[in-house]
Amino acid sequence: MFGVHLLFDGVNTMTDLLRLLFNSLETGSVYALAALGIVLIFRTSRTTNFAQGMIGTFNAYIAAFLMLRYGFNIWLVALVALITAFLTGIIIDTFIIRPAAKVSPISKQIITLGIIMVIIGILPWFFGVDSMTLPRFIPTAYSITILGADLRYNTIFVIAVSTILMGAMFWFIQYTKWGLATRVTASDETTSKLMGVPTKTVTMVSWATAAMLGTLAALFVAPRISVFSNMLLTVQISAFFAGTLGGFSTFFGPVVGAFIISFARNFTQFYISDIWGNVLVYTSILVFLYFKPYGIFGKKPTKKV
Amino acid sequence: MKILNQVENFFGIISKKIGKHPIVPFILFGLVIASIGFLPHTGLMRWGTMGVFAYIVIFTVVAMGLNLLLGFSGLISLGTAGFVGAGALGLGVFINLGFPFELAALMVLIIAGSMGALIGLFSLKVEGIYLAIATLFVGEILRQIYTQLEIFGGQAIRIGAIRFFGFIELSMINQFQRSILFLLITTMMVMMMIIMHNIVKSKTGRALMAMSRSQHAAQAMGISLLKYRLTAFVLATLFATFGGIMYGLYYQNVPTTAWTLDLSLFVIAMVVVGGMKSIYGTFLGVFIIHGIPNLWLKNYFGDISYIFSGILIILVIIFYPYGFVYIWYDLKRLYIKHKLRWMKKQVIKDE
Repeated sequence: MFGVHLLFDGVNTMTDLLRLLFNSLETGSVYALAALGIVLIFRTSRTTNFAQGMIGTFNAYIAAFLMLRYGFNIWLVALVALITAFLTGIIIDTFIIRPAAKVSPISKQIITLGIIMVIIGILPWFFGVDSMTLPRFIPTAYSITILGADLRYNTIFVIAVSTILMGAMFWFIQYTKWGLATRVTASDETTSKLMGVPTKTVTMVSWATAAMLGTLAALFVAPRISVFSNMLLTVQISAFFAGTLGGFSTFFGPVVGAFIISFARNFTQFYISDIWGNVLVYTSILVFLYFKPYGIFGKKPTKKV
Repeated sequence: MKILNQVENFFGIISKKIGKHPIVPFILFGLVIASIGFLPHTGLMRWGTMGVFAYIVIFTVVAMGLNLLLGFSGLISLGTAGFVGAGALGLGVFINLGFPFELAALMVLIIAGSMGALIGLFSLKVEGIYLAIATLFVGEILRQIYTQLEIFGGQAIRIGAIRFFGFIELSMINQFQRSILFLLITTMMVMMMIIMHNIVKSKTGRALMAMSRSQHAAQAMGISLLKYRLTAFVLATLFATFGGIMYGLYYQNVPTTAWTLDLSLFVIAMVVVGGMKSIYGTFLGVFIIHGIPNLWLKNYFGDISYIFSGILIILVIIFYPYGFVYIWYDLKRLYIKHKLRWMKKQVIKDE
């Protein structure tokens, strides 16, 4: 991952540090977007959405396909992909999740596995078997150099978009009427329904938003790797880990967790061991979880006996 | 009507005779499956089909372990694939180091079992989705170890012919010996089914079920959470590892990259789709998730077959939330309803 950035010969510790910083901020933003989608669905639909990554991948395929076939530019195809993501979310909620409302949470997770398989089957049918590419939003040529470290405008763009988007979402959830509806649905669906909250709409919009967040993560990741069926696997697993680390009971916990994981992983991989960095980070998070089982910001749920 | 009665009588006699001892049906079931091992020799079945059935047999054992966890104890694990891999790859490593098969299997089981115990201890603190993802951490760590450590041989580990008790050598390549291997793993599956049956019907099984309904009530009845959570996780890990050993035994060439989150999810799907708390249901689930796509769907649809498997999973869960095996009760009810209607008509006619 870092080989790409090695444009300069001299090994400068400050340069390395800055490079790692920029890189971690970029991957952290992507993880945070995915994690936010997962926690949104977890809170409103009471299920772990394993298909989050696959939904994003599907819409990234649509973007790449449009670009390849009709030669639209990246901004236009990204817009189209976000719209189709919105629709995908609504379709999945209406036709699959809502009929299964009475199913147990574990079975619901397996339903999302079913969604993964349906999408895996659809991909080669619609788009062929070759993997495709998507360019960066801002070409690589545009970049500034800080202390020898290369900072692409695209990296700044990714970080800025993610930060603004997440800030807007937190503001929305915290201060608007619909945000309040989301929060009460998350805390108790039955009671909110009795109080007249349109929980069905809230769940539907949550799925649509989560799908859009996933797609955005896919579009940001696509230039680094390429567009293929498992492109979001690492992102999704990291998003789960971020959710656990930050705590699923708040909306901002997973975002913080995402940045922690991204930083920890990049720095251990660079300074300690390329191979064992991940193992080290995962083990330390496990140990951390033993002492704080509900994450950094999580609260122990109160249970009636 | 008469025919129906005769059929009923016939099956009644069989089920009465079989029903006397709970182990007999398992052995009969095993014999039916074992016969598949000899069909390819007669030309009635392709060798590939037998391979699919071997996979089903192996993953029935794995899924039974998860059923103990998911169905009976209400706990979830996303690290199953890691432990299946531990069984298969560990066996390969130890055999390649020069250990005899039996000792290698025992060592792998002990190592994996103690890891299961560690997760069990962990589960006392962590709950729900946090526990699920904690097990995912374990699975990911194991996966990293398999793919990075040189001892596992990079892409795949070759075990080659396996020597039992030092003198009987069985190889995958020889067709006759492959049938014997199939017979062997079927025997192992039947053994594990009987063990599972005994666990479930014993004090341990009852305690696990009590725990899954309500932890607090179970504790009030004097059930030690520590003891039974440990038991549940150790058993699930042992079953998964045992499945892995069967995998190594039959296929004798174990990939290092196959033990991912996807596989763990598939094992959960097998339990959920087949039937929680049901031993035959577990087999049915494995058959639906792995057998149906690989035996039929792939031949007709190729890559698109995934769509059908996905839709199948979704539909089964929506219509049979407790598992497809419970379709049996629906069929029975339907049968009785129709029979009663028939009898009523008969009575009216007679009058």
